[in-house]
This record gives sequence, C-alpha cells and structure tokens, in this order.
Amino acid sequence: MNFSKLVLVMVTFSIFFVSCTNDDNNNDAPLGSYDNGFLILNQGGFGHNDASVSYVSSDFATAQNDIFSVVNPTVTLGDTGQDVGFNNDLAYIVLNASNKIEIVNRYTLKSVGSINSGLKNPRYIGFANGKGYVTNWGDGSVATDDYVAVIDLTTNKVSSSIPVVEGPEKVIANSGKLYVAHKGGYSYGNKISVIDAATNAVSTTITVGDVPENMEIKDGTLWVSCAGNPSYVSAPLAETAGQIVKVNLSTNKVSSTIGYSNATKHLSNLVLNGQDVYYTIDSDIYKMSASATALPATSVFSTTAQGVYGVYSFAVHGNHIYVGDAGDYTHNGKVYVYALSSPSIGTLEKTFSVGVIPAGFYFND
Amino acid sequence: MTLRKLILALFVLMCQLISAQNDSITNLKEVVVSDRTLYSSNKSQTIQILNDSVINKNQSSLSNLLNYNSVLYFKEYGRGMLSTVSFRGTTASQTAVIWNGINVNSQLNGSADFNTFTAPDFNSISIKAGGGSVSYGSGAIGGTVHLSNELVFKSKFENDLRLDYGNFNTISANYKMIFSNKKWSTQVGFSRNSSDNDYPYINQYTWDGIQRKNENGQYSTTNLFANVGYKIKPNSIITFYSQSSNTDRNLALISESDSKTKYVNTFSRNLLEYSTAKDRFSSNYKVAYLTEQYQYFENIENDDFSFGKSESFIAKIDLGYKVTESIKLNGILDYNRTKGYGTSFGNNIRQIGAIAIKVVEQHNEKWQNELGFRKEASSDYDSPFLFSLGSSYKFSALYNLKINVSRNFRIPTFNDLYWETGGNPNLNPESSYQAEVGNIFTYKKFTLSETIYFIKISDLIRWAPLDGSNWTPENIDRVNSYGSETNLGWSNSYGKNNLALNASYAYTVSENVETGEQLIYVPYHKFNSNVSYSYKKIVATYQFLFNGAVTTPSQKYNLVKEYWVSNLGVYYDFGNKNTCKIGLQALNLFNQNYQSISQHYMPGRNFLINLTFKF
Repeated sequence: MNFSKLVLVMVTFSIFFVSCTNDDNNNDAPLGSYDNGFLILNQGGFGHNDASVSYVSSDFATAQNDIFSVVNPTVTLGDTGQDVGFNNDLAYIVLNASNKIEIVNRYTLKSVGSINSGLKNPRYIGFANGKGYVTNWGDGSVATDDYVAVIDLTTNKVSSSIPVVEGPEKVIANSGKLYVAHKGGYSYGNKISVIDAATNAVSTTITVGDVPENMEIKDGTLWVSCAGNPSYVSAPLAETAGQIVKVNLSTNKVSSTIGYSNATKHLSNLVLNGQDVYYTIDSDIYKMSASATALPATSVFSTTAQGVYGVYSFAVHGNHIYVGDAGDYTHNGKVYVYALSSPSIGTLEKTFSVGVIPAGFYFND
Repeated sequence: MTLRKLILALFVLMCQLISAQNDSITNLKEVVVSDRTLYSSNKSQTIQILNDSVINKNQSSLSNLLNYNSVLYFKEYGRGMLSTVSFRGTTASQTAVIWNGINVNSQLNGSADFNTFTAPDFNSISIKAGGGSVSYGSGAIGGTVHLSNELVFKSKFENDLRLDYGNFNTISANYKMIFSNKKWSTQVGFSRNSSDNDYPYINQYTWDGIQRKNENGQYSTTNLFANVGYKIKPNSIITFYSQSSNTDRNLALISESDSKTKYVNTFSRNLLEYSTAKDRFSSNYKVAYLTEQYQYFENIENDDFSFGKSESFIAKIDLGYKVTESIKLNGILDYNRTKGYGTSFGNNIRQIGAIAIKVVEQHNEKWQNELGFRKEASSDYDSPFLFSLGSSYKFSALYNLKINVSRNFRIPTFNDLYWETGGNPNLNPESSYQAEVGNIFTYKKFTLSETIYFIKISDLIRWAPLDGSNWTPENIDRVNSYGSETNLGWSNSYGKNNLALNASYAYTVSENVETGEQLIYVPYHKFNSNVSYSYKKIVATYQFLFNGAVTTPSQKYNLVKEYWVSNLGVYYDFGNKNTCKIGLQALNLFNQNYQSISQHYMPGRNFLINLTFKF
C-alpha cells in the first residue's frame, strides 16, 4: 500500500462522516398569533443557555414549544429564564444567568429588542409609572450590592438603580408603588421594600414572615406568602413554618398573620382567585377562603399521582388549576391542567410536555 | 439506519487496514516503572501505552492527547476549560487518573479535569480499559489513565525544552531535565501553558451583526515537578515524586451579557516510595500526601471567592511472595485519611482502610491467570466486596485472547456526602459488575485489538430534588453499558520512508435502565486515527477525530451534533547530534464549527509553531 492510497482512504473517511450528518432543525412554523392562551416560561438548565417559551391555547387544542426560537430563529433567548412581565403589547422575558431581558410582542412573540447592560443577576420585573422595575441580586455572595434597576421603556435601557436589602425577588405594582419581596437570595430574608415610582427611592420597608415569596393585592391589602426558613438553615437561624401575612396598604403595617405551627410546613405559590386562596406545600394543593383565620390542615388534592416531587410553578385561571412539574430538572418538564371545580377539584384534564423546568404561567388573553 | 450500519461495517473493514500505538511492552524493560504491576499483573485487560514520542507530537494538554489517541470521549467546556471524560459510557467520576500509582481523582467531586494536566510532564501515559478497583480503588469502573514518571538508572544528562506559540496568544513552555547515573536518577521540570483564548466563533454573530468570540476564556496552567530515585542496592530503590500545579481559568461566557467568573485549581502531590526484593519476597511501601483546592470567583473584578479543599494522607504496603516459580501472591494494605473543608461544607474527615489480595499465576509462557480481591472499610459508608478475575491466553503468535470479569466501585465524594445544603451522609458507593473479552491479533507489522464489554452499574448517585425543592444526592440510577473498542496499529519502513498508522474506534451504548435512554454525553460512535510519515528528518502527522452526535430525546438542548476535526503537523529536525526541531501544526485544518458540550464553541482553524530542543 503506498502513501497516496492511504490518503485516499482518509479522504474517503472524511466524506462518510460528513454525509451522515442529520440536521435537527425545528420544522415548526410560527403560529402567527399566540394570544387566547397562555405562555409557559421554561427556565432551562443553569449554564445551558436553553431557556424557552411554550404556548398552549385556551381550549388546549393547540400547543407549541420553543416558540421564541420558532419566531426568532436568529436570536438565542438565553440562560435561565426567570420571569415574564407583560406591559401593554410587550412581554419582557428576564434571563437570570444571561443578565438580560429579551423583549417581544406578547401576541406574535416577535423580538423587538433586548436590554443587556445594567442588570446583574436579574430576577423579576414589574411596571409602574411608565417604567420597568427589575430586581437584581448583584453578585449572589455579596449581600450589599442588591438593587432594583429602573428601565426606561422608550429607550430600553437601565436609567437608574435603587439599592435595596439582600435578595429582592418578586415585585408587584399598585397605585404608583412597587412592593419588592426579599426572599433573601443566598440568605433568608423577611422584608418587603416599598418603592415610590415617583421618586425611585425606597420609601419604607415592612417586616413580614421568613422568606417572603408570592404577593397578591386585593381590596387594599397586600397578601404575602412566606415559605419560612427551610430545614437546612444553619444556626443561629432555625427552621420556621410557612405563613400568610397581610399588609394594610394604606398604613404599610401588617394587619394579620396566619401560619402553621409545624415548622416543617413551608408554603409557596400563593394565588388569590375571587374569594378563594390557593397555595401549595410540596406536591399538595391547598385551598381556603380569603376570610379564613387559620390555614387548612389538609390539602384539597395532591399531584403525587402524576409523580410530581414538588409543585414548581402554579396558577389558577378560569376554571382550571395549572401545575408545572420540573421532574428531574434536566429533562423536559410537564404541565398538568386540573379542574378547578367541575367535575371536582383536582381532576386531571390535560398533560403537556414542555421545556426544561417550567417556571411560570402567563395568561395571554 | 442502513447508512449507519454501512458505516459501521466500513469501520470494521477499514480498521483491518489501519492500526494503534500499542507499543510493545519490551520498550520499558530498562526502566523502573513506578506502577510496576500495571503491565505484569494485568495481562487479562488491554493497555494502550503512549510513549514520549507520541506525547511530543501532540498538543500539550492531556485532554487533547487522549482525545486524539484513544477511545476516551471528552467533554470539554470550550478550549482549555473544564474537561472531563467518559470511558465505556460511564460518568466523569468513573474513570480514575493514576499518578505514579496513586489515584488522584478529586476527593471533592470524584472526577479529574484533564485540562489541569500537561502531558509532556510525564514520560509515559497508559490507558487501561475496564474495571480496576481491586488495584486502583474508587472510580476505576470505565478504566484508568496512568500518568508515569519513569526513572532511568543509567548515566544520562538530558535537557528537553519545548516552546509553542500559536493563535489567540497561546504560549507554552515545557522544560525537563534528566540527570542520572547508576545510583541516582533525577527529573526536574516545569511547564506553563497560557492563552488569551479569544477565538472567533465560526459563523456566529450577535443580533446586531458583531462577530461573536470566546469572551472571558483566558487560562494559564503552571506545573512544577521533581522526581528523584536512589538505588540503595540493586534490588532496593527509594523514590520520591513531587508535583504541584496551578490552573487559573476564567470561564468562557455563553452569551455576551453573562457575568464574568473565574476558577482556580491548585494541586500538590508528593509520594515517597520504597521497594525492595529478596529471594521470593518483594515489598513496596508508599506514603503520599495530596492536596487539592478550588477557588471560584463569582465576579472576576472582586477578590471574593468560595472554595473547597482536601488534604489526603495515603499509606500503602504491598508485600509479594513467590509461592512457586509460576504463582505470585501479593497482599496489600491501604490506608487513606482525607480531610475536606470549604465554603459549602464543614470540616470533615474520612478514613478508609483496605485490604487486597492478588494472585498471578503464570501457567506457562502462553497462559496467565489473575485473581484479586479487595475489601474496604470506611468511616462513612459500606463498601462492596470487590474482585477481579482474568485470564490471558496466547493461542499463537497471531492471536491472544483476554477475558476479565470484575466488580468495581466509585465512592461518594465529599460534595455528595457533606455539601451544605443537600449532602447526604447515607449514600452508598456506586458499584458495577463488568465482563470483557479481548482479542488481540498480531500479524507482521499489524496489531489489532478488539474488545467487547458489558458493564452493569447500580446505585448511581444523582442529585435530584427528591423531597420537593431540596436537592440531595441519592443512589437512584441503574445503567447498563456495552460496546466494543477497536485499536489498530501498523508501521513500516520503506528505505528512508517510515509510515505509521493507528486508529481506534469505540461503539458505546450506555442506557439508563429505567428510561431506556442513552446517557447524555455518551456518543454511540467515536473514531480517531493518526497517520505519521517521516522521511529523513522530516515528519508529517495527520490526526483525525470523529465524535458521534449526543442527544437524548427529552433533553433536546443537550444535543451536540457529530463533528470531525483534523490536525496536520509538519516537523523538521535541524540538529545533528542534538535534536533541534521546528514544527508547524494546523489545528482544525478544515475549519469545522463544533462543540463538545452544548453552547461551548471550539475554535476554528488555528496554527501553532513549536520548537523542540534536546541537548
């Protein structure tokens, strides 16, 4: 065998390797319109740059995954989808590890821009006074650099930042004020910062329960669900029970607190729906009346039949309850739709396979 | 599907023509091999040896050397970044790296980062496929990689200097001095590799049309080593090996707006060894002290970091006794005390004691039988009873059959046990049963080895949010891996023309038993080949690497397409008495756009000039 023949062999090899390429293009076409349904933000794996958005129509007949990349094939959504905020026709998708916000038309998903400077570990977005407010952790391990970035919605740039205490998480707007829950970041918080959108400054802070997560506003009252410190906190902290704290918005004072006495019960995913209050503990869904003075001892149904370890995301909308299941956090997640009342609460109605770690539901109707 | 089959068939056929660098073991006879039993008492498994001439023709990172020259599959998070391995479809912590006979996988995460090792720091690098926990302890499930500094006892004074300069301001210097006589043998050296590593991503542009490049990817690796041997008597040798290394890497960004972070790894490894033999008795004593540390800087602008550190003290006694001319018995006692501490775990001490017995029966020149047992006792977990049973039979000069069955394990790491929060102190080791059959054909200048194996792994440790949102590791997964490994080697001379070819191909199936899915980052196919041609003082080498696609249907974004990469190198030796070689390497010759880990692009075509002096 001479050298030239060997070269020929090598070249032949190369050609074979090239020809066995099978492209994995997403052949889905954009639906054109993504209203009359809901969006699901899939967080994706940290460091995987695979956050994605899924869509399901209100009648559950149409579903599509990866709609951001289907509509905008040249743009990568980013790493670790954290939150979606709707403001008029636009949706602001907060990407935590990418330190950016992708802005799309909420009905067509067409990209209209992005905000990619001035954010550091962005978490959640709220809107007030014609501006966007984005909570930021700064460096996770630094307790003193946390802030709320103010976004100029006409230029899509961070116009100023408001320093806040550690671990700002969810933000909710009401009458020109923003309420920021300090879940605590790398630590465990127990404060709500009140930001006046007119001055872009913290006007007051309210001490609530440990690890405040979700907030809802109803009839001049801010409802805050506090998960309580988890079992693995180290001394001097101790595990604390979950509770619901109500704040009177005219005085910014805690008006009432109802909680569990058992410190191992940590509630999350508070939702107010009409006169009813819903929340979850691990895989179980709880329901109570908004006027109740104690938390219910038993759940109304459990998602364990679907193999859910813990409810990762949760919503109550229309006649349905929506549960996002992150599964093992590396494979595609699932969304389960349950009946709210008819035929009975917790009856499984639909199951959708979505992206990795479904983190939130955003109703687009 | 038919195309796939056709390709597979083609591989098998082609491979008959081409060949591997299973260098003959006789090359090593004049030297003291620190890991002496590796070759003599492991004949029932295949061992591939990469000697220094192969090492010197490759890029200096251990990761690249093995990627282009063995069946090991590498997962590299961009050029120069974290690089872990999958051997026979196993996980990163199921391949053990053995430095001069001592297991140096991380005590914190169980795996080895192959980009923290610089290949030219070692004289020989061997790859032993298959289970080896009886001899090498935790992690030797897929196989073991042996990094050896061989000390030669003959009069010699040699200096080796290699300098590289390449694109992206890649600079490396490797220096080694060997100074020895009949009594003493000394090697000292250092290596430093660094790069700005800001290569452009092929055909990648930001949304506003700017060429994307590898941002924040700069790295530097520094290694120092000194190895000394003293022959007290012809049969008694005392040796000391010492190595320290520092790898300082920024972590390349996935997207331009990511936070800039940095990771620093430091290692120090010290080993004192004494071996002696008299009549039927032989003994080997080892004392080693190893440290490893990582520092993670969440923000490269700040000095704040989180860290983890481990310090291990190891003592090992290996007593051998020749029961008869053909039967050799070894009893081994092993003690390991490791202290681990850091930002995310308190101060924890783990002690492991082990006893092992190995028997090698050399029935005759053709037939060798091997049997070994090992049992560990640990302060932290229950260890399985490990064994290895093997046989090698040479039917003829043409054909050698090797059979081996073994039970191997991987112990839970400090992260698994003590990480705050989530560490689970109740973990069991991962354990595996393995069977393999190797066929080695030697015909004239061809060698062909073909091994098929089956590995059943249980109690695989996986971190999962099992009780809601608290992540914790559990022994949950079971994996079955099976496949084949083919290595071919051929070389010949035609007058002043020398031609050498080698190739290896691995077919790997590694399935999660519960889901039936192929494990992530295990390609079905990996092929690589090297062609080397020399004429007088000119040498040309061509390297080719193919990695099949990795994907799991329900993890769409972890998909990495198949890729092939070629490197071409040309070297010319100006020297007469001493070597003075200049080389030019074109890496990724055909400018392929590829990733070995999703989202982490690798560089396109780039060039490296190197100078090698031996004097």
